[in-house]
Amino acid sequence: MKAGRKMLDFLKNIPQYLANGMANGCLYILVAMGFNIIYNSTGIINFAQGEFSMFGGLFAYALAVSAGLPIPLAALLAVLATAAVGGAMERLMIYPLRRAGVLTAIIATVGASIFFKSLGRVFWPSEAYKVPEFTPGTFRLPGATVSKQFLWVTGLTVVCVALVYLFFSRTRAGKAMRACSVNRQAATLVGINVSRMSLYSFILAAALGGAAGMISAPFASYGMGLEMGIKGFTASVVGGLGNTFGAVVGGLVLGLLEELIPGFLNVVLGISTGYKGAVSAIILIAVLLLRPQGLLGRGLAEKV
Amino acid sequence: MESSGKGVGGVPRNGGIPVDAGDAPGKRSSSARGLLSIIRSYHLFLELGVFLALFPLWADRVSRPLGIPLVMVMRLVGIYTIAAVGLNLLMGYAGQISLGHAAFFGIGAYTSALLCLKAHFPPWLGIPAAVAVSAILGFMVAPVLRLKGHYLAMATLGLGMVFFVFMREMTWLTGGNDGLRNIPALSLPGLAIGEGRDYLRKEYFFIWIIALLVLLFCHNLVRSRSGRAMQALHQSEVAAEVMGVDVSWEKIKAFVLSAALAGMAGGIFAHIQGYIDPNLFTIVLSIQLVTMVVVGGMESIWGAVAGAGVITFIPKVVEALPKWLGEVPHWLEKYSNYEGIIYGLILVLTMVFMPKGITRGLADMVRYRRSPFVNPLRKKALE
Repeated sequence: MKAGRKMLDFLKNIPQYLANGMANGCLYILVAMGFNIIYNSTGIINFAQGEFSMFGGLFAYALAVSAGLPIPLAALLAVLATAAVGGAMERLMIYPLRRAGVLTAIIATVGASIFFKSLGRVFWPSEAYKVPEFTPGTFRLPGATVSKQFLWVTGLTVVCVALVYLFFSRTRAGKAMRACSVNRQAATLVGINVSRMSLYSFILAAALGGAAGMISAPFASYGMGLEMGIKGFTASVVGGLGNTFGAVVGGLVLGLLEELIPGFLNVVLGISTGYKGAVSAIILIAVLLLRPQGLLGRGLAEKV
Repeated sequence: MESSGKGVGGVPRNGGIPVDAGDAPGKRSSSARGLLSIIRSYHLFLELGVFLALFPLWADRVSRPLGIPLVMVMRLVGIYTIAAVGLNLLMGYAGQISLGHAAFFGIGAYTSALLCLKAHFPPWLGIPAAVAVSAILGFMVAPVLRLKGHYLAMATLGLGMVFFVFMREMTWLTGGNDGLRNIPALSLPGLAIGEGRDYLRKEYFFIWIIALLVLLFCHNLVRSRSGRAMQALHQSEVAAEVMGVDVSWEKIKAFVLSAALAGMAGGIFAHIQGYIDPNLFTIVLSIQLVTMVVVGGMESIWGAVAGAGVITFIPKVVEALPKWLGEVPHWLEKYSNYEGIIYGLILVLTMVFMPKGITRGLADMVRYRRSPFVNPLRKKALE
C-alpha cells in the first residue's frame, strides 16, 4: 500500500521532472554540440569544453552586473568573449600540438581546463555572482512550476541548433568542416585549410558553450565547468560522438534521465538525492562500454 | 683461458651479468663483478637512500629560516611518490591514461581508516587491507580499459566522480562531508611510529622505506617480461599482440597495480593526517597525480620522485613566500585560489615544449647536448 502511494507521488511529480530535465537537457545539447564540432574537425576531445560555459556565465556577470550593461548586450558580448577565448586556446595550444599523440592532447586540454577554472576563481572570487534572471518570475504548467528563464533556455537552444544547421549545410566554411570530419587528409588535398577549420571549430564550440553558460548565468559558478563538461560529453556520446545533431537527442535523453532516475530513487526508495551527481557519469561509462556508437548508432567510438 | 671472459678493456662481454664459473678463483672474481653490476644498476637507489637517511640531520636546521618544515613535507613527498610511480607505470609505460586515480587514493584512505576506527585493526594491518581493497576495486572497474585514448580518459574521470559521490553520500559509513576524525597514528607491532616527540622523523623513515621498496619493485618490474610487454603495447597494440602479448591482460595488470599503489599511498596518508574527508580526493588530486607524472617525465621511475617532490613543494614554497618577501598581493595569499593556474600552466607548457616531461627533457639535454625544448612550430612529429 505504502509503496503504491510512493509510486503515485513519483508519478505526480513527473511533469516537474520533465520540465527541469528539458531545461538542463538544452544546456547539455549546446555543450555536446561543441564537443562534436571540435572532435569532427580535429579528432580531439576538448576537456576544457565545460570551462567555456563557465566563462560564458562569468563574462555575463562581469558585463551585466559589474559593468552595468543592459542584459541583451551583455549576453551577446559574453558569447563573443568566450568565442575569443576558444580561438586563443586553439592558436596557442592546439595548433602547436596538431601532430602530437592522443595522450599529449588529453593532458594539454585537461591542463587548459584546470587553468581556466582557476582563472575564473581568481577573477571572480565570490561564490555568489548572480546575474538577475532575464525576465524574473515563474509560470505554471499543468503539474509543474517553471522559471521564466526556462523559456529563454529552450528558445536560445532552438535558435543555436538552427544556426549551426544552417552553418553546416549552407556556408562554405561549414561544408569544409564537414569534409574535414570525413577525412582530413583528403580535405587538405582538395584545398581546404584544415588548420583554419580547427580554429573555426574551437571558436564555434566556445561560442556554443558560452551561450549555454550565459543563459544559465543566474545559476552559474566557477566550479560548474567540469560537471558541464562531463555531462555535455555524456550527451554527445549518447547521441553518437561526431554526430552533431545526435547531440540534440543525447542532451534531452540525458537531461530527462538525470531528473527521473534520482527522482524515482528518492521518492520511491528513499535514497538521498545527493547521488544525482553520479548519474551522468554512470550513464557515460555504461554507454561507452555497451553501445559505444551511441543510441542513434552513427558515432565512431573506434576512431581514436 | 679466463673463466667468464673479459671483453676488450675489461668490460664484461656479457654486459655484466654474473655467470657461474667452474673453478674457485674465477668464481670469486665473477661474484665480485656481479656485485659491481648490481651496484651499477642500482646506484641511484644507494644515492637516494643515503641522501634520505642523512636528510633529517640537516633538514631541521634549514627548516626554520626557510619557513618550510622540510621533514614534514618530505613525508608527503614519499606518499605521493608511491602513488605517482604507480600512475607512471600505467601512463608512461603502458600508455593508458587515468584521470580518476584520486578515487583509489581515497578508497585506500577510507579502507584503512574505517578498519582501524570501526573494527579496531592496527594500522599495519589496515594499510595492506587498503592495498587489497583498492586493487580489487581497480580490477572490478578494469573493463573501462577496453576504451582507448579520449574515451578512457573521460571514463576514468567519470569513475573518479562516481567514487567521490559515493564517498560523500554513504554517510552511515564514511561520515559524509564531515569525514572521519581521530584516525590512529601509524604503528608497527610493538613500535609506535606516529607518537612521541620524534614522531615526524619516525613517520618519515617509515614512509621512505616503503617508498624505496616500491621504487625498487617498479624499477625491476619495467625490466621484466611484463614491463616490456607494457611498453610494447604502448608503442603499438597490434604489433604487441602479434608478438604474443596478451594486450588486455597486461593493461589490466598495470591498472590494478597502479590502483593498489594509489591505495597504499592513501592508506598511509589517512594515518599521518588523522583526518580525512571526501573533498581531499576530488579531481584536483587526480590531476595533481597526473601533473607529477608529467613533470617527472613519462617512462621514468625516478621521474615520479622528482614530480612528487616538485608538486608537493610548490604550495609550501608559496606559503612561505610572505616570510621571504614580506608582502605579497592579496590574491597570492590563499594558494588554493590559484593552484590550478600553476598546474594548468605546467601541464600545457610541458606538453607543448617538452612532451617527454621535464626531468626527461633535462636529462636528454645533458646527454645529447641539445636544447631540451622542442620548437612546436617546426617539429615534424612528437612521440
